[in-house]
Amino acid sequence: MKKFFSKENFIFSTFDKNQRKQSLIISLALIVFFVFSAYTFLNAMYAFADCIGSIVCGSMDSALRDATRSLPLFLSCFMSIWAMLLFQAAFRNVNDQKRVRSLKKNAIALLAFAGVNLVAIIIMLVMGKFHSIVEGAPSPLYPLDSILYSLIFVALGIFTLVYLKKFQEKLPFALPQRGEVVKKARGVYCVFVSFWMLIACFSFACFSIGLFITDFEHYFFFALALTLVYWTNVLFFGVWEFYYNELKEEKKKEFLLPLAICGLVVAVLMVAIYMIALATNLDAPSNFGFGTLPIAFTASVNIATLVVVFTPVIVSVTALIKGLLKRKGTKASSEEEKPQE
Amino acid sequence: MTKKTRLLPLIVVPFCLTSCGKVVKYEDNLEKYVFKMDYHKNFNILQLTDIHWNINSSTYESKRYMDKVLKEAYEHTGHQLDLVELTGDMFMLSNSFEVTDFVKYFEKKSEEYGFKYAAIWGNHDRHGLYHPNWLANQFRKAKNCFYYEPNDNLYGRSNFMINLVDATDKTTVKWQIANLDSGASFSESPLSPFRDYDYIRKDQTEWWVAEHAAAGESVPGIAYYHIPQDENLKLYNNRAAYKNKFFKLEDFADNGNEEYASDFLDVAKTHNLKGAFMGHAHNVDWTVQWDDLVVGLGVKTGIELYYAHINTNSTDPAMQEGLASVGITENFDLIGASLVTITDENDNIEGKFDLEHLYLNERATNDFVSWVKF
Repeated sequence: MKKFFSKENFIFSTFDKNQRKQSLIISLALIVFFVFSAYTFLNAMYAFADCIGSIVCGSMDSALRDATRSLPLFLSCFMSIWAMLLFQAAFRNVNDQKRVRSLKKNAIALLAFAGVNLVAIIIMLVMGKFHSIVEGAPSPLYPLDSILYSLIFVALGIFTLVYLKKFQEKLPFALPQRGEVVKKARGVYCVFVSFWMLIACFSFACFSIGLFITDFEHYFFFALALTLVYWTNVLFFGVWEFYYNELKEEKKKEFLLPLAICGLVVAVLMVAIYMIALATNLDAPSNFGFGTLPIAFTASVNIATLVVVFTPVIVSVTALIKGLLKRKGTKASSEEEKPQE
Repeated sequence: MTKKTRLLPLIVVPFCLTSCGKVVKYEDNLEKYVFKMDYHKNFNILQLTDIHWNINSSTYESKRYMDKVLKEAYEHTGHQLDLVELTGDMFMLSNSFEVTDFVKYFEKKSEEYGFKYAAIWGNHDRHGLYHPNWLANQFRKAKNCFYYEPNDNLYGRSNFMINLVDATDKTTVKWQIANLDSGASFSESPLSPFRDYDYIRKDQTEWWVAEHAAAGESVPGIAYYHIPQDENLKLYNNRAAYKNKFFKLEDFADNGNEEYASDFLDVAKTHNLKGAFMGHAHNVDWTVQWDDLVVGLGVKTGIELYYAHINTNSTDPAMQEGLASVGITENFDLIGASLVTITDENDNIEGKFDLEHLYLNERATNDFVSWVKF
């Protein structure tokens, strides 16, 4: 076990004091915006699921009306996620030039989302869609709270652009760099990583809120099983993002397969526990409280539940395949290197 | 701290969470499930259903609409609105702020108009950013709300009776109003791609029969719950044989599976149940007279989520059938409320009541208001 957590395995062991400080600050910012993203994503999911409910029942006008009123909720989610991407771009990138370009792009996107949100709220206030700046619902201060939230991101976007301008492509910080994604796989990679990140956000929000508002009293085993599933999703995200991605290249190669195998075992165990809990109480998902799976409830389908439950398995299997392919590649290349007798 | 004592919380906490509280047997506590109200001739019960406050709701607009419905019903009943039945799906993907606001609103209105209100669980009331027990407590604490949720051996979170008693002796039951939790949904197997809507379970029927027997076999009753049962569709398919009215523009949204059919209406019908009213399917307020029993869906209340737009030029036979039954000749939305007026004399209970559907739409100039008798 010690082998996995030795300081020497991680990129930061090569950092000087200043780099470590920078790395820590950016990691903290990433965590903060991950938490913001998680909660705003859950809110956006609620709003989205409600609109889907209307569409499924053939009422497109209601869906559009609701989506318009909740536009600030959707944009708040985008702002939070883009702030996370902004720090992610600062944290790991192929090279400094790309880092600057990526930071600039994300800062502009952030400003755009915040700007659209501010303008949309003002238009809706003028048009009477909002009856006052503190009309209330879903929060007592809505939409004022959304205006204030946007202002934070406007400030962050402007700060980033000014900072980049000041240092003219030569950033005064040096952080770890990652390998470039193969061009062919870039599309699949982006979809997979985005989906994975959203599942992690969703699971974190569900795990943390669910602890307080699920009915453990009447549905203990099911609630516990689902909580464990959410926890597994968050844990896996943490392991791959904050552990694996911080490893040195040679250690990544070494640990990929064992991590994938361990992950698969844990994931299969969690899914098995969930399935047993569900099989013993088939009423539980819709009765245990907390609409953690809003689309499942509005449209009465289980697919959404199964996606969330099976995600850690899919992630581990993917990692396992990647690990096996890499191992095969390494073996083949080492055999090629062997001297001919 | 030894290793063993460190492990103790791991054992104790789950036990605390599962609440080792004693499960009460409903059979031994029938009287605890009963609230009482004084009966009088023309006792009015307004059914509001599927209000659906959710994260997208403008509660400002929802309250403005509800104000109009309550005012209209209050004036229509000659300022005698006695009971408001909230038949489920008051919320959906909602949060604690909205729930608190909702309960405060109904408390304020019940003081203003002098009615009591009963809260019944719908499938979506369980799906929000709040603990279901917390929601139950909001209703439990509300001064003018009827709500009872014991830790009992009865299916559903909350099942209770409102006995309408003689105003002088306070004990003779004249009418009995049942409030049942028809559940939410369930999977037929762990890997089912879909969920089935729940149904009134056998133990709930047995509870109803026991409560009714305690009130008196001759006492007429009305039941309110959320999800339609299998009888609605059976009666609709055979509608030519019965008096029926109003609209059926979508499925009843019951589970549609004979294996999970409820026995409630079949049994209760033989025990003097006179009316059974529910919600759930927003585009349906179809009502039928099945011998002595009137079975129907209430009109969806408010503009949240989805509702039907009634178009007089529609070629949809179901819409034309509904239009012909209500006699309305202009376009309107299928939202409003339903009103039951019990017309029995105080000293001559025959089980008679009138049912009216209110269609109320907000419009820029004059609101559309139409009362249609069943």
